[in-house]
Amino acid sequence: MSAAIVRMSSVSKQFGSQRVLAGLDWQIAPGQVVGLLGRNGAGKSTLLECMLGLREADGGSVSLFGEDVAALSDAARGRIGYVPQRTDLFDWLTPVQMFDYFRALYPRWNQAKVDGLLARWGFGPTLLGKPIKRMSGGEQQRLAIIRALAHEPELLILDEPVSALDPVGRREFLRELVDQVIERGTTVVFSTHILSDLERVAFDLAFLKDGRIALQGQTDALLEGARRIVVPATTLPGTPLAGELRRRQEGAMTSVIVQLPGDDAMRLAREPGVRVEPLTLEDLFIEVTQ
Amino acid sequence: MPTHTANLFSIATGSSQPIYRQLVEQVRRLSASGQLRPGDEMPSVREIAQALALNPMTVSKAYSLLEMDGVLARRRGLGMVVAESAPAQPADRAGLLRPTLERAAVEARQLELDPETVLSLFATILKETK
Repeated sequence: MSAAIVRMSSVSKQFGSQRVLAGLDWQIAPGQVVGLLGRNGAGKSTLLECMLGLREADGGSVSLFGEDVAALSDAARGRIGYVPQRTDLFDWLTPVQMFDYFRALYPRWNQAKVDGLLARWGFGPTLLGKPIKRMSGGEQQRLAIIRALAHEPELLILDEPVSALDPVGRREFLRELVDQVIERGTTVVFSTHILSDLERVAFDLAFLKDGRIALQGQTDALLEGARRIVVPATTLPGTPLAGELRRRQEGAMTSVIVQLPGDDAMRLAREPGVRVEPLTLEDLFIEVTQ
Repeated sequence: MPTHTANLFSIATGSSQPIYRQLVEQVRRLSASGQLRPGDEMPSVREIAQALALNPMTVSKAYSLLEMDGVLARRRGLGMVVAESAPAQPADRAGLLRPTLERAAVEARQLELDPETVLSLFATILKETK
């Protein structure tokens, strides 16, 4: 594997007494498309902001393209695209004025791409002359996405990019992501609660829990490897099974979530009264992040 | 030779079966039933990825597996085509139904149904859907 584009080691971040990132380690390789999952308030936005150097971490180190994020060169900055969760910057401008402003900042700005996206996403002349702050949440979010794609970044960070879009808008966005971004080998980190979108486009997943990456891997492998084993509590050994993520008492039964069951789990599965079930991504989300 | 489009496929998110697996099994079923014939051109990875909004790597993975299993063949200048091979024997075709029936068996056990009830229900369904 080639050198990581994003490298975070022992990153910690605290707000008052609340510890949001607790010695987090994470590496992302070039061309990876990673979905970042975690519960509300788990710190996904804080993690992405620390990754980009928009927020200073209390401890640990972050590097992007091999450069320390605190002293990132303009060249490296120009290779990054970011869609924040909320975009209220420059909202007194019209889209035309906003894009003119940003075009001057980026040497690699692709105006043809901007014009194409604006046309495909329904920005006609009237809308293009309207101040951004008077637009709907969905329209504002689309503009933020177009702005992040316009300079053809090599690293694209999307923080809940589709939260304000309806299903049609989300599908259009995913198609654009597949056709214009993933096909070009762009590295993408994508946080969202819409698991069906992640299943479609995220080849890899990472779960954030208790300030660390609690589980990561290829989406397919995580789904195929995950099993819920429901065992009469008396049959279950007290020591954890190989690959055990979680166990929970449910009356006389114990439910154990295992990633990549080993021989011990397979032996257990043959005992009377034991049930083994596959998990969906939603099951896995609940079991890993709760 | 007919050229197929991405309409061939329909995928379900929220399933415990990964998307690449769904694609693999759909091609296997379509080819076992003769809806895909040897020499038929398959849609390109890019076309499927775009039409179904999927990561192209997921589609590539499905195609590579099907190529390894001899269901599809890579043809220069044409992309993927359905492999020239003996049509699936009935026993092979029954094997393709196994994953679906295994899931049904798990649910039947959860409902604590006895085998006769389940089998007679399946027989009824087969008659109904004829």
